[in-house]
Amino acid sequence: MSEPALVVDHLEVRHGAVDAVRDLSLEVDRGEIVGLIGPNGAGKSSTLHAIMGLVGVRRGDIRFDGRSLVGRIYGELTVEENLRLGLAGRRSRSSGDDHLERAYDLFPIVREFRRRPAGVLSGGQQQQLAIARALVADPAVLLLDEPSLGLAPTIVDIVFDALASIRERGLAVLLVEQRAQRTVALADRCHVISHGRLRVTLTPDDAEDTRTMVAAYFA
Amino acid sequence: MRRVEPVTALIGPLALVGLTALLGTATSLSTRTYFITALINVAIVVALYLFIGNSGVLSFGHISFVAVGAWTAGVLAVPAAPKAAIMPGLAHLLRTTTVGNVPSLAIAAGVGGIYALVVGLPLMRLSGLTAGIATFAILEITHNILRYWEKIGPQLNAFSSVPATTGLLQAGVGAAIAVVIAFAYQRTRFGRLLRAARDDVAAARAVGISIYRQRLVAFALSGALAGLAGGLYIHLEPLGVEDLYLDLTFITLAMLVIGGANSLLGAVVGALAVSGVNYSLANAENGGFLQHYPGTHLVVVGAFMAIVLVARPSGLTGGRELSVPRLRSDKVEP
Amino acid sequence: MIAGLTVDWQTVTDAVALGAIYALMAVGIGLVFGVLRLVNFAYGQLIMAGAFALALAGEWNWPVWGGILLCFAVVLVLSLLMDRLVFRPLRTESPAVMLVATFAVAFLLQSIALLKFGGLGRTALSLASLERPVTIAGVDIRKITIVAVAATVVCLVTLLVILERTEVGLHMRAAAMDFRTARLLGVRASRVIGGAVLISGFLAAVAAIMLTVEETSQVTPAFGLDDTIIVLAGVVVGGLNRLLPATLGGFAIGFAYGFLGGALSSNQSQYLPSFVFGAVIVVLVLRPGGLFTRHGQGAIERV
Repeated sequence: MSEPALVVDHLEVRHGAVDAVRDLSLEVDRGEIVGLIGPNGAGKSSTLHAIMGLVGVRRGDIRFDGRSLVGRIYGELTVEENLRLGLAGRRSRSSGDDHLERAYDLFPIVREFRRRPAGVLSGGQQQQLAIARALVADPAVLLLDEPSLGLAPTIVDIVFDALASIRERGLAVLLVEQRAQRTVALADRCHVISHGRLRVTLTPDDAEDTRTMVAAYFA
Repeated sequence: MRRVEPVTALIGPLALVGLTALLGTATSLSTRTYFITALINVAIVVALYLFIGNSGVLSFGHISFVAVGAWTAGVLAVPAAPKAAIMPGLAHLLRTTTVGNVPSLAIAAGVGGIYALVVGLPLMRLSGLTAGIATFAILEITHNILRYWEKIGPQLNAFSSVPATTGLLQAGVGAAIAVVIAFAYQRTRFGRLLRAARDDVAAARAVGISIYRQRLVAFALSGALAGLAGGLYIHLEPLGVEDLYLDLTFITLAMLVIGGANSLLGAVVGALAVSGVNYSLANAENGGFLQHYPGTHLVVVGAFMAIVLVARPSGLTGGRELSVPRLRSDKVEP
Repeated sequence: MIAGLTVDWQTVTDAVALGAIYALMAVGIGLVFGVLRLVNFAYGQLIMAGAFALALAGEWNWPVWGGILLCFAVVLVLSLLMDRLVFRPLRTESPAVMLVATFAVAFLLQSIALLKFGGLGRTALSLASLERPVTIAGVDIRKITIVAVAATVVCLVTLLVILERTEVGLHMRAAAMDFRTARLLGVRASRVIGGAVLISGFLAAVAAIMLTVEETSQVTPAFGLDDTIIVLAGVVVGGLNRLLPATLGGFAIGFAYGFLGGALSSNQSQYLPSFVFGAVIVVLVLRPGGLFTRHGQGAIERV
């Protein structure tokens, strides 16, 4: 049995004098989306930053085989330059042109606008660009930090649809989100984190069950 | 954290000032100058602290207030006869006015304060890097004007014939005044409001504190103290415009940083400590083991400041005032 | 004569030369600021060190190219040391603290030079032949002017190519726009910062060499200090956090200084610094992002 694409093992992260994340364990296999939801300050971002290597890990282990974060795009750089930035995180030493081609294939809109500044793209297109950029690094795991933040519902549809198709292609996705219900509906598993600890794990069946959702969130 | 400093926080700095003055009396006349200079440095650094420490805003321009104060006191204190000879281009009012020692110091403080107020009007809206650059521009402008404007001073020449009235007593009293005023300011509403704004800008604004106004008050007050220090300085030795420019800016900033920019004690400790190092090294350079290496003391101070900034940015005192330790009977859970 | 100013082609060409050199310095300062958010007050000391290297090489009777190589070597090593020992540890502090730190480094280096070389300094004469003029179309142009302009154009074009066409350049631009996101994407901070520091140092070395001919061959511990202060003013007025406005600001102030310094009588040009720094304050208060930037592009904070 092969190891999951991302393993977080009893993670503990400190933020100054506070424990941001305590004893957090989760796994993401290839071809599945795992959600991480919770109120503000629960520790979602700290977990992501730890996986991205931006903050130190106090205790615990993180194992992955190539991960890439879907982050803010650079409005002033061209679409192609944004994509090329994604190459910075790639594992192989190849030129990366084939990676770029693959991203263009997945998101035709990106190819069409490749020489324009990324700022002229619409909100949904920018999200696609952000995802495309993360895919350029050919990761095994895709990390997303509240991608629906500030987006209109129709655009959130586009993003979540893109994530579903990415799942079909066999990638592993860790989706950190504030919009609980949609995330629970999309993800194969959805962990609820609060005060740095995992409280409960929800499945798509729970998406309609408001009582469970509320209880989980405000436990 | 808003707490009113206990009066004990005043004792430390004042004691150090007094001690320095006392020690100075025990030395020979030639080394006494170092002690007097150290006390004047205390006044300057305390002035710096009053603004920088309480507002959290950097100022590279305070030496211009020292210079303006020095110019004021010098021009007014030089007796009429030599004044006409040394500074022929002087404005009529300045040429015909001569005041005594204490008035010259008081006027120096006043002019320093007013100059700071005028300069602060546009500048106090700035903070951080822009404030640093803008105050540096003030330093440059003041230096430029003092250097070339013959109507207000000796331009490039050193201020000679100023009555040398700054001895240990005058310098000690001046430093003590600076310390007391800075301490008093800290305890007033102005000081507390400014520090509140320093610690949390958004909260301060939400409560309705006018950050601009509080900064302006501190800036003007610190300008007055700096002017006073300048007056003291010009009554000690003949200074030229270059003596009140970049090097002094650096040294006094270094003193504040090394001592600890967040406390009055830090300002005093820093000024005295660096002056002490300066003194011993200068001694060694003058005839001791460093005599073939003049200028070592500058290198040491510069290195010290860089090291403190990198390794212990809160300075020697760590931003703490001197307080009487109180025994706690209960422990508070974090 | 134009409006009371004594203008001749010599003044204009000299001003162009100074503008070109200041433009290079402006890029050096702006590049490091963009990536580190740090205003390197000690930039002038890098130039001083390079000039001293040139002077010493001359004294040791090295060939000219040897002196130039030594200049580059010294400046680059010093830049890297500055970065490693001072800038990197302080990266998380506020920009104001970093400004004070660079101030400290500047003072420290100047004091060391004073200790080692004394106030009189040394003379750098190896390139003195560039002082002599060449007559083009009836106008006497100092050779150094041509060299300075050519060097500036070459350096700037090369830098443009690096920034726009290479991977490192792209990473640098992204880091200057948004460092955090860049790191999240896998951009290596050390490489980007190191690159910026090296390029900045390279430009300082070029400026040092030019200045020993253009301004004065007398290299004292204060060499380059006044120039750096003036360039800083120009960069702030032009626009600190974007390279093009910074470069324009540097050139403009160099040209203005050179032109007015030559065209005005010594009496009239006395208060030039006051006007320049007065303009700095006006810009900082009214338009902190700089004159040449579009409104809202500045990253400089205000209360």
